[in-house]
Amino acid sequence: MTDSKLRINLMPTPPDGVELPKKPLAKFRWISTALAVALVSWSAIGLDAKWSRLLEAPADMWTLGRVMFDSMEAGKIPVLLSAMWESIAIAWLGTIIAAIFAVPLSFLAAENLVGKPVAWMTRQVFNLLRAIPEIILAIAFIPIFGLHPMAGVLAIGVGSIGTLGKLFYEIIEGINKGPVEAVDAAGATRLQRLRWGVLPQVTPEITSFLLYRFEVNIRASAVLGLVGAGGIGSDLAEALKFKDFGTAGLGLIIVVLGTICVDTISGAVRRRIVSGKKSMLDVDHEASLHVDSMSMGN
Amino acid sequence: MTTLHDGVASATAPTLPAKPGMSMFAIGTAIGAIVLTIITAISVGFSLSEIISNFGRKNSVVEGLLNPDWSQIWSRRSRSAFIETLQLAVLGTATGATVALPLALWSTTFGNPNRALRTLLRSFNNVIRSIPDLLWAMLFVTAVGIGALSGLLALFFFSIAVTTKLTSDTLDGIDMGPIEAANASGAGLTQMLRTAVVPQILPSYTSFVLYNFELNLRASAVLGLVGAGGIGARIEFFRGRGDWEKLWGLVVMFFLVVFIVERISVTLRRRLV
Repeated sequence: MTDSKLRINLMPTPPDGVELPKKPLAKFRWISTALAVALVSWSAIGLDAKWSRLLEAPADMWTLGRVMFDSMEAGKIPVLLSAMWESIAIAWLGTIIAAIFAVPLSFLAAENLVGKPVAWMTRQVFNLLRAIPEIILAIAFIPIFGLHPMAGVLAIGVGSIGTLGKLFYEIIEGINKGPVEAVDAAGATRLQRLRWGVLPQVTPEITSFLLYRFEVNIRASAVLGLVGAGGIGSDLAEALKFKDFGTAGLGLIIVVLGTICVDTISGAVRRRIVSGKKSMLDVDHEASLHVDSMSMGN
Repeated sequence: MTTLHDGVASATAPTLPAKPGMSMFAIGTAIGAIVLTIITAISVGFSLSEIISNFGRKNSVVEGLLNPDWSQIWSRRSRSAFIETLQLAVLGTATGATVALPLALWSTTFGNPNRALRTLLRSFNNVIRSIPDLLWAMLFVTAVGIGALSGLLALFFFSIAVTTKLTSDTLDGIDMGPIEAANASGAGLTQMLRTAVVPQILPSYTSFVLYNFELNLRASAVLGLVGAGGIGARIEFFRGRGDWEKLWGLVVMFFLVVFIVERISVTLRRRLV
């Protein structure tokens, strides 16, 4: 409160009878700040962590890093590279599977294509799927498929349906009505309307979101191996478990480099896809990918 | 994508303009995608019939999911693990987001005049961003030891990565006017950032922090799988015993809570932006 008073004093005095506009949202801001502070202090006091270890943590990490570098063996590189490739393959196939389900489902979630009740129900399915981490899905799929990359593929696939579906229906709801009306006027059936009125408008953005999700999924598939669902995660987990720090370090470097590499290629393709087209969302900005789209609609 | 433009009724009228062909780029992307799908499918050993036959078989996992055992929610150990998960998510977000704000500010051209330092910060963030949350947890469990502290450190780094990236993207698009004004009136770097930049990005920054909290809550549920504290340890315990009814009871309950927290957070975020 003192803050706002100070600011008003700095401003030139308004003429008589003119009131300065009140600062909006002040109450909301104060209450939420107080709540956040209370929540954080409750967590800090309540969390049963060995705080004394915190001071030693940087030294411990340094030691781990040094041990990793000291005991690296170049001979392990081919094995780790092929494991990383498996992770990338899992991420890609999972993304494709998710897209196969998410595209038709997102049509059912767009209010401008179907009725409100249907859209609402489909959206709740998306919300539910979005809440489950891939690794939990992998835990569920492993007893079904055994310790096979297929468990990872399906975990990524099912886990991405929710996010992709949500992004897709938001794109669909933002389309230009003109082409849809035009194909309607030309006597198109429902399916033809989707094919000629909707699909051409949304394809570029859907493709670029798919690629973006692929980038996210690589990070997820790199750890799926922890529970045995294939990919480089199992090599990493095993190396750390058996204190084979050299291999773990190499694996870590390969994960980082592989991820950055795929990000760069996929990012370039995404930029090319949306360039020259006025896009609803700026795909190069993760901010608009996540937050705007998640706070819009629904 | 290949089917996008074929199959159109042939143009008989000579006055119609020639249909533009598909761009080489679109064809290339489509072929690349198909080839990549085939290669990855072969290397993973993908088989549709296997999926169908595996799902058709009776198995204890799906049975457990159909009859979840809710008793776990009320047990003392699960409840304390649950609270630990929440505390981990809150603390990880708070600490990570606090560090992320200056990091994001210093990786912009106006917030950091030193080009080498800027590049260093950006590549640092790129590396952090490419390491998944669970991998962080694994590293900290190895170096620092089993327990909630490792989970907290993992979430701390994960939050730095997410919030810094989102915030610096927002910083790219801010209004430069206030910055010029602050510089013209002789503000130092920190004063300029405080008065001209932070107020501009504060609403989106807050909403990124909330979004990050949602991510962390979900991530903190699985941190325990590698021994980094929280409810994941209980999940791993029931998984090891093959106690699927109890596992699903716990998981379903947890995600109901995540779902509710997320709804609240989304409402708050919508109000902010």
